[in-house]
Amino acid sequence: MSPIAIEADSPPQSRTFMRRFAGAPLPWIMPVIVVIGIFYLYPVIDVFRLSFTNATLIGENQQYTFGSITNALSSPQLPDILWATLIFVGGSVIGQQILGLAVAVTVIRGEKRGLFGTTILRTTALVAWVVPGIAGGIIWQMLFSEAPYGALNSILRLMHMPTVAWLSDPAMAPWSTLISNIWRGTAFSMVVMYAALKSIDPSLYEAAEVDGATASQQFFFVTLPQLRAAILVNMILITIQTVNTFDAIITLTGGGPGRATEVISLYVFNIVFRNYDLSGGSVLSVLMLIISLGLAFVYASFLPKEEEQ
Amino acid sequence: MKSATVSALALSTVLFSASAVFAQELATKDRIGLADAAKTLVVRLTNDSPNNSDPAIAEGYQKLFVEFIKKHPDWKLQMQFMSSDIGTEQAKMLEQAKAGNAPDCAAVDSFVLSQFMVNHVLADFTPYFSKEEVADLFPFIRDGITDKDKTIRAWWWDTDLRVLYRNKSVVSDAPKTWDDLKKAALASTKEGMEGVLFNGGRWEGTTFDWLANYWALGGKLVDDSGKPVFGEGENKEKFLKALNYFKDLVDSGAAPKRVTTIANYDDMNAAAAAATTALFIGGNWQYAQLKTTLDPDEFKNWTFSPIPGPTADQKSTGTGGWTVASFSKDKEKIEMCANLARDVYMGPANALQQQLPTRKSLFDKYEVFSTEANKTFANALVDGQARPGVPIYPEISNQIQIMMGDVLSGTKKPEEALDAAFSAAMEAYKRL
Repeated sequence: MSPIAIEADSPPQSRTFMRRFAGAPLPWIMPVIVVIGIFYLYPVIDVFRLSFTNATLIGENQQYTFGSITNALSSPQLPDILWATLIFVGGSVIGQQILGLAVAVTVIRGEKRGLFGTTILRTTALVAWVVPGIAGGIIWQMLFSEAPYGALNSILRLMHMPTVAWLSDPAMAPWSTLISNIWRGTAFSMVVMYAALKSIDPSLYEAAEVDGATASQQFFFVTLPQLRAAILVNMILITIQTVNTFDAIITLTGGGPGRATEVISLYVFNIVFRNYDLSGGSVLSVLMLIISLGLAFVYASFLPKEEEQ
Repeated sequence: MKSATVSALALSTVLFSASAVFAQELATKDRIGLADAAKTLVVRLTNDSPNNSDPAIAEGYQKLFVEFIKKHPDWKLQMQFMSSDIGTEQAKMLEQAKAGNAPDCAAVDSFVLSQFMVNHVLADFTPYFSKEEVADLFPFIRDGITDKDKTIRAWWWDTDLRVLYRNKSVVSDAPKTWDDLKKAALASTKEGMEGVLFNGGRWEGTTFDWLANYWALGGKLVDDSGKPVFGEGENKEKFLKALNYFKDLVDSGAAPKRVTTIANYDDMNAAAAAATTALFIGGNWQYAQLKTTLDPDEFKNWTFSPIPGPTADQKSTGTGGWTVASFSKDKEKIEMCANLARDVYMGPANALQQQLPTRKSLFDKYEVFSTEANKTFANALVDGQARPGVPIYPEISNQIQIMMGDVLSGTKKPEEALDAAFSAAMEAYKRL
C-alpha cells in the first residue's frame, strides 16, 4: 500500500500529523533513538561515570575520584592479563579466519563438483557455533581432561605418544583455550567467507584460466583481493566478539592455573563479582571498549574505499 | 450391580481428576499456591528446592512446599531459581537488594552473609525464632547469622564439612597426619592410582578445602576488625607451612599435577567410579553420591575419616552451608519467609537431602541422621570452622585460588605467591 493510499485511509487528524512531519525525519526515527538511548547508550554512559567514582558493590557512599583509574591501570596484574588477552584474541582471529576460509573454499568447491557431504560439512561446522560458550567449555574440559580417562590423552596413549598437560601446564593452558575458541568461532567466519565467495564474479576466474593462472595463483590474485572487504569486516566482528569472550574460559579453566588464562573480560568479571569493585571493573570495561574500537578503526582503515570498489 | 460399578468408577475418575487438577494448580514450575491467592512472596532458591536435578529430591521438596502453602492458603510463592554460578548470583542479588529490587525471601550462601549484613539489606528475623531454637544452634552458626547488635539476620539451616575419603582395599588405615597421607598416596600410585585428589582449580572449593590445613595450624585469615593478616608474622609462617604441604604432595607425585584443573567435587566422584584414585578430599554430601554412583560391592570399599592434620591431634575442617533470609520491608512477608525457613528447611529439608542440620537436637529427631556415617559427620563438626564472615573474604579466596594455581603448577615460589596474594588482598581491603 502506497503512502498516499495510507493517508487516504487515515482519519483527518492523523493525515494532518503526517503532512506536518512528512519532511522531518526526526519524529520518525525518535522511537529508535529512545530505545537505543535507554538500552544501549545509558549503560555505556553509566560505565564511564562509574569509572570516575570509587563505587563498590558493598559500599554505600560513592565519591568522584580519579583514584580508581590510576589504581586499575597501574595494577601489577594488568600487563599479564593484557598479554594473555593478546594471545587469545590474536590467535583466535587468525585461526578462525584461516579455518573459516578453508572450510568455505572446501564447501564451495565441493558444491561446484556436486560432491556428497558438503552440506554435512557446513552443518557440522555450524553446530559448534550454535553451542553456548559454557557448554563448549564443558565439552572441551572433557576432551582436555588429564585424568587417566581423559579423551584426547587416551587417544595419545593408544597411539603410544606422550600425554599433554592441556590445562595444568601454565604454558599450555592458553593454547588449549585458544583451540576451543577457534573451534567455536570458525563457523561464523565460514558463513561470512562463504557468502563473500559466492558473490565473486565467475568471469574473473574464467579470465584467469584463459591467462593460464594456476589454482594457487587464482586464489592469491583473484579470490583473496575479492575477499578483502569481507575479511576485514569479519576481523572486526570476531575481534570484538573474542575480546568479550569469557564464558568458555570460565568453564574450561576459570582463568587458571594461577592467572595463565585470565583474559581481560574474565578479569573484569572477577573484579566486579569476586572483588565487588564496581569502579575498577568500569575502568577496565572502558579500556576494553577502547581496545575493541581501536582495533576496529585500524581494520576499517584498510577497507576498500568506494572508488576502489 | 454393573451400573453401580460403572458409576463408582466414573465418580472415582472425576474425584481423581479433580484432585490432580487441584494439585496442578497448587504447584506449578514457578509457583506454589493458588494463582489467585491474595498475597505473594517472591522466593529465590538454589537447587535445594523443587528445582533439584534429582527427581526424588525435587518431588520431596514439592511435597514440603505444598504442605507449607496449605497452612497459608491466602499466600502464593512466586519461585525464582539461581544458576549454579553461586558467586555471581549472590553478587547480583546484593546489587538488587541495594537497589531495593531483591526478592522477598532468598537463599543466601553463609560465606557471603556478611556482605549483605554490612549493607543493611537483611530483615530482622529475631522475633520469629524462639530462644530455645537459637540456643540449640551450633555456636559458629549462631555467630554467623547474628550481626553486631545481636540481631538475627538469616536462618542458617544446613551445614557441611570436608573429610578424607579412601578406598579401604587400597589404603587400609586412615591417614592421621600430613606425612601419613603422603605415604598412603605414594603407596597408592604404585598400585596404578593417581594419588590423592583435591580441588586446586580456580574456584571457592580450592580455598575452602585447603584452609582446613591452615586452620589446623592455628592460622588466621583476618583479625578481629576484618583486616587480612594471613601474610604477616606467625600467620605467614603457618600459611607457608600449609601451602608447602600441598606443594610437596604434587612435587613428590603423591598428588597428580592435574589437581590444578579440578574445580568440581564431581571430578572426585568420577575418579572414584573409574577406580583411578583411592584417596580424595571431599564434602560429606559425597558419601550419599558415592553410594548411588558405585556398585554396592565397590561402595563397601569406600569410607572416610577426618582430614589429616600436621600432627594427629591438630585437626580442622571447613564447614559451610546455606541460609534463608528476607530482603522485604513488609512485616507479613518477613514472617512468611521466616516460616518457610522453619517449616520447610529447618529439619524437613535436612532430612530429605541428608544435609547436616545446624541444631544439635535435629540429629536425634530424624532417623536418617542415626546412621553410622551421619553420626561420624556430626561428631566431626566439633573440629569445624566456618569462613570468616567479613566483606573481604571473597577476594582473599580469589587470591588464594590464584596463588594455589601458581604454586602447584610451579609458576611461582610459595613465598612469592603468598606475598602477591596478600598484597592484592590488602589493596582490595583498602578499597572496601
